[in-house]
Amino acid sequence: MQNKIELTRIRHYFDTTTERIELFRNLSQTIISGESLAIVGPSGAGKSSLLSIAAGLEIPSEGDIRFTIGGKQVDALAMRANSGFIFQQFHLMPELDAIGNLALPLRLKGDPNAFDKAADWLSKVDLKDRARHHPHQLSGGEQQRIAVARAFVSTPRFIFADEPTGNLDARTSEGVTDLMFDCARETSCGLVIVTHSKRLALKADKSLRLESGLLELVA
Amino acid sequence: MMKLSLVFENIALNLRGGDGRVSMLTQTTLLFFLLTLTLTSTSIQRYLTENLDQMLGSDMVLESHSPLDDVTQKSLSELVDNVSRTRLMGITLTFKDRWERVQLKLVDSAYPLQGELTVGETQASPPLPAEKGPIIGEIWLGPRLATKLGARVGDTLTLGGRPLQVSRIIFHEPDRILEGHSVAMRAMVHEDTASNLPLGSSNERFRYLLSADQQQQQKIEAWAKEALPGATLIKKYGGQHPLAGFWKRTENFLGLASVILFFMAAVALDMTNRRWLANMRYRLAIYTSFGTPLRTGITMAGAEWLITFLISLFFAVFIAGFSHSLIIAELQSYFPGLEGEWQLTRALKTVGLVFLLLLALQVPSFIQLRHASLLSLIRSGSESSYVWQRLLWGVSAVTLLAAAYSDNLLLTAMTLAAIIAALAFMIALTWLVLWLGDHWGRRRTGLLPFAFFIMRQRLFAKSAQIMGLGLCGLLLLFTLMLMKDLGGMMESYGRTHDGNLLVSEAQADQIDAIHDWANDTGSQVRQLRPFVSAQLVMINGVSLADYLQTPSDTMTTLQKPIRLSWTDDMPANNRLMGGTWWQNHTDNWQQISTEPEVMTDMRLSYGDQLTYLIDGRSYEFTLVASHAYQPGGGSITFWFQVPGSARSQIVAPTRYMGSMELPETAWDKLAGLWQRYPTLSLVPMKELTERFDRTLGVVTKVTNGYAGMVLLLSLFVLAASVSGYRADDRQKNGLLMSMGLKPADCLWLNFYDWGISALIAATGAVVGTWIAGVLIYDAQFGLNYNPDMLWILGTLTAMVTVVCLVGYIACRGSLRVSVRDLLAS
Repeated sequence: MQNKIELTRIRHYFDTTTERIELFRNLSQTIISGESLAIVGPSGAGKSSLLSIAAGLEIPSEGDIRFTIGGKQVDALAMRANSGFIFQQFHLMPELDAIGNLALPLRLKGDPNAFDKAADWLSKVDLKDRARHHPHQLSGGEQQRIAVARAFVSTPRFIFADEPTGNLDARTSEGVTDLMFDCARETSCGLVIVTHSKRLALKADKSLRLESGLLELVA
Repeated sequence: MMKLSLVFENIALNLRGGDGRVSMLTQTTLLFFLLTLTLTSTSIQRYLTENLDQMLGSDMVLESHSPLDDVTQKSLSELVDNVSRTRLMGITLTFKDRWERVQLKLVDSAYPLQGELTVGETQASPPLPAEKGPIIGEIWLGPRLATKLGARVGDTLTLGGRPLQVSRIIFHEPDRILEGHSVAMRAMVHEDTASNLPLGSSNERFRYLLSADQQQQQKIEAWAKEALPGATLIKKYGGQHPLAGFWKRTENFLGLASVILFFMAAVALDMTNRRWLANMRYRLAIYTSFGTPLRTGITMAGAEWLITFLISLFFAVFIAGFSHSLIIAELQSYFPGLEGEWQLTRALKTVGLVFLLLLALQVPSFIQLRHASLLSLIRSGSESSYVWQRLLWGVSAVTLLAAAYSDNLLLTAMTLAAIIAALAFMIALTWLVLWLGDHWGRRRTGLLPFAFFIMRQRLFAKSAQIMGLGLCGLLLLFTLMLMKDLGGMMESYGRTHDGNLLVSEAQADQIDAIHDWANDTGSQVRQLRPFVSAQLVMINGVSLADYLQTPSDTMTTLQKPIRLSWTDDMPANNRLMGGTWWQNHTDNWQQISTEPEVMTDMRLSYGDQLTYLIDGRSYEFTLVASHAYQPGGGSITFWFQVPGSARSQIVAPTRYMGSMELPETAWDKLAGLWQRYPTLSLVPMKELTERFDRTLGVVTKVTNGYAGMVLLLSLFVLAASVSGYRADDRQKNGLLMSMGLKPADCLWLNFYDWGISALIAATGAVVGTWIAGVLIYDAQFGLNYNPDMLWILGTLTAMVTVVCLVGYIACRGSLRVSVRDLLAS
């Protein structure tokens, strides 16, 4: 069953009181599940906006976007139900402990084995002994590992990561990067990462550079 | 199931935070108060209805203030199976050198038609049933009256020169319920005993107890509407009787209290909602990040809110049940045999109303939740001008409650007007002070200019906080001030009252005797104003009952005869409030002036035609002016006044009311005057003071309880204010300390922040209280609004100090945490 996101001739801009700022134009790209894609580029190039458009969170100013899940064309809402996100700021629920955060997506989907599955994932990310720790008791790397596991735990078709290692040191970044790609491979989902890290981008199946409104393949 | 357990988990997490706890406590308190009120009033209503069933003394009672003529009485007799006529009047009974004001009931031989009459030989003897009332020449005394007079069975009393033998002590009359909450001394004689006596007063009542089935009752109702427009019909199952009316007024007063309390609760909830909304938006955004539709998140938020409400309800029901039983125990001295009972329908109605109103306050937050977006986690967004939406919903919700609860439209409108004016003032003042402060500080260094800068950046949040605190201050200040002034007025009533003996009613032929007696005893007649007893029966040709369906104190009073006075000049203790006062000696006698409150409550306009029934005849007047009482120039004033030329057109006995000043030596000689004129109604100030003390006692209890609730909710508002803004302050302090500011500087900055907020809020509260005072004092309580500046300044200082102190404590708490933790938060 094919899952894909097709962006065709996308243009995106926003207006301020004095001028129109154009982020990109005439941009086309297809993202397929089972494949990883990194988007790099300078700050302000519109990487996060492109990610938001690809995830169906934002509507482009011009152009077409088509989501296909299980061979069927779906709308943005259905697309979102099959997506997971990883953020630069981790965004764990501060009032929940590690296992509570991990189990949350499964519980929301009504999975009766949510905590068992969450415990398995905790072992997978080497944080079994931190199950009862709250986010403020965990390091940044540990928090992001929980966030990565939380994004994958409900086996989405696509994962969107916005600067997932932006807040981490080089060594921790590497660990989190490996974890993300391992999980993506294991679950055969599509992984779209916005990053400044060349090392991270190189690990992706495909790496694209967004600069001056144009998207080009990085060799 | 999974989602439900998550909902419960979220509730538990919410309750671990200060906002959640304050919010729940506020809801619980509000529910508790309104539920207790409903349960108590329902129990009393039920008690009254049941008592009416057993105690009316007949199937139906027709009450009028003048006797039915022979033709009418014959028509009535033809419509029913049996009739018994009773007559009630206020007289003074004397025995030896003692005297008492008494409610004398004259009964016929048929009395009572139903129910039980119980009597005894002494006040302490067991009650025995009696089939009929006293025979001619005998008098039955109520136990309290017998004790007061020192009279026993067998003694002889004198009534208008006629000796009457005390033959029984009367314990219970089946139609006692009709007297409602009256604590008047009671006596009963056969009507033929008094046939030749000079009795009769303006407040005389004639009651016709009727035996009639359902069909007959309907016929009587239709007949009485046409034939006896001034008469009142009381049915066993009508639910309309004096005690209920008394209780209804008390309930209405508490209704207004509920509006104010609800306003306080709304402020506290609004403040906690701010943090709740931020948390919930964050939570929902995270939920959507792993594929949960926003709709599911909002449904869960709704379920959380609903379950929290139900938990509050559970606690409120429990505490209200307990309080209800305590209050019922206390009220049993007023309503003997009263039992606390749960009326599910009424309680559910109240819960439903509170639920809807709390929901109305929550709606803006739910609308905001729709804007929760995953994008906000990727890039931060700004908060919109959500404060206006909250304000609009809040005011609408409270107006709805006010409309549902209160019966005094004028008072409710004035309260709401004062609140809205104060809010507008506070918004304007906040913006002005912060704008000026920021402008002033632009080229200056130091913490105060910086405090203004920061506060202006958070203008919307600051406005909401200041409005909340100010509103809470206004309601608290107004409650305390009204309590203080009302208490003061009642206590000083005796001293400031004109004269120490009130002539509450004297007949024309008694006036000379009063003057003679005054001369003999060295007393002074201060004031005597004439009046006739008149009952308003129609307004613009529509009967009073059909004209206005809304209950009000004014309406209740106007259903009985009132005192109609005449004068050419505006009395010295009145001032013109609107319209045109008549010329001296005008020929156009069909003009009338009334008080503005009557006009508002009865929705009258100048030019309206008012028809009065005076001694069995109809008289029509056009409303041309309104007048109000002003201090000085005597205390006797009338609701309705007509030109002097009207008197010659009205065929009715003239009566007088006024005041006298008695020297100490004259008091003992009062019994002699009363012995000659038993219907002369004189109320010594000593007695009046006693009555006021009793009333004051009840008023104090009610207002104390009410002030207690207001104080409690004020604490919640303060707690909500601190708790709701704590996170912002922590973040601000953390950032400032990371920039090198010392903790002491942060404390000063917070002190400026809280101080400026508290000062604006307190000024708003004082101005709001002033507006409320000017609007409400004179119009509703007959008080002049002369605010004690020292007291106001003291209260203002206390408010600012308390707010700053609480702010300081909260700030110190947040500064104890390290910069890293503050930044992390």
